[in-house]
Amino acid sequence: MGGKVTCTLGEVKNRADFIVFWGGNPAECHPRHFTKYSLMPKGKHVPNGRKDRTVVLVDIRETKSVKAADIFLQVRPGKDFEVLTILRALIKDQAVDPRQVAETGLTLEQLTDLVARMKRAKFGVMFFGMGLSMTRGKHMNSAALLTLAAEMNAFTKFVAMPMRGHGNVTGADVVMRWQTGYPFGINFSRGYPRYNPGEFSTVDLLVRGDADAALILGADPGATMPQPAIDHLARIPTIVLDPKVTHTSRLARVHITTAVTGISAPGTGYRMDEVPIPLRPALKSPYPTDEEVIRRIHEAVCAKPDWIHANGQYTTNQV
Amino acid sequence: MNLNVVKHATCTFCGCVCDDIELHADQVRIVEAKRACVLGKAWFLNHTAESLYPPALIDGQPAPVDDAIALAAELLDQAAMPLVYGMSNITCEAQRETVALAERLGGVVDSHTSL
Ligand code: SF4
Repeated sequence: MGGKVTCTLGEVKNRADFIVFWGGNPAECHPRHFTKYSLMPKGKHVPNGRKDRTVVLVDIRETKSVKAADIFLQVRPGKDFEVLTILRALIKDQAVDPRQVAETGLTLEQLTDLVARMKRAKFGVMFFGMGLSMTRGKHMNSAALLTLAAEMNAFTKFVAMPMRGHGNVTGADVVMRWQTGYPFGINFSRGYPRYNPGEFSTVDLLVRGDADAALILGADPGATMPQPAIDHLARIPTIVLDPKVTHTSRLARVHITTAVTGISAPGTGYRMDEVPIPLRPALKSPYPTDEEVIRRIHEAVCAKPDWIHANGQYTTNQV
Repeated sequence: MNLNVVKHATCTFCGCVCDDIELHADQVRIVEAKRACVLGKAWFLNHTAESLYPPALIDGQPAPVDDAIALAAELLDQAAMPLVYGMSNITCEAQRETVALAERLGGVVDSHTSL
């Protein structure tokens, strides 16, 4: 997501007076988002908290989050990209085709009202969830929303932020970007990183049968991935590191039990706004941490001849 | 009973990563997670320090961790295109080690983001 126009949640708390949630249900999926960061807190430039903020929810159906919003816009499923593109035209006073507006499930009045409010805002933020980024259009939808946020800066301050889900997915993006230059789907088979989503992404690799061994940690694809991908994981030698014996562990050759991140394993986790936060575990696990096990596997691999790198030296601290 | 109190503990269950949680724990379990939401409470209270699972399994049978690590290294080293996937629920420090391992293996490293 290079070039993304964004900010931290602290800035949202202290400044944002116009907030859009697009394709997400924070009331149920990120329960403290409203109270801790985005809607309720009184901030430096929004001293009255919720009263100083306008909240818009864009989704294909009514969720529990609707109650928290001032305006709810119900988009026809699969039409997010079209709505975003029409908004990009409207902010620049370009003509839009009424038939195309009609197809989105929204009216021109609703959209022009939204644009007027966006332009009146002092600090606008658009949060977007998987209802946008994982449905028809996928990353093109995210790109359209990020572009809209960037273009809004011709009129007022505007930013965008993905509502990241489980655990430390944000950290995974950040660490891979730091170490390889790319956020995910990275192939080292030539000895240097190459990036090509669709070719080197997990589901594609597994469904095509390209991978001939798998190491799975901090995830349970055996419970979530399409069946052909799971079938391939069962065919090849799979190794799982997890605090529990998971669905994937059951079809794996090797399972190693590890300590639970943040509960019995210390370290760092990234918040959705890419702010790193130290973890403070309360328990002592009888199991080793993922970090420890991976390092030991790495050391065992390094004891074998290196057939890829001419001079493969393992350094423990690659800073 | 003496409870261990951790102030400013961090919940990693969702992307909010709330770092204002107060945990009260005995030796094996967390008994209270102040300020956590329903999801966070469930996350903290459902994970204990008990040994509920064997340290390692090889072909479904309990095995010593050392053997499991040696076999894992062997299988990954033998593969022409090993895939390293996941990293959602692990620390950044573990993620760093994981990327380094994938590089040494000449494999593919990928996360939940690609789904
Ligand atoms: S306490 Fe609730 S909102 Fe905060 S990180 Fe945990 S699950 Fe998310």
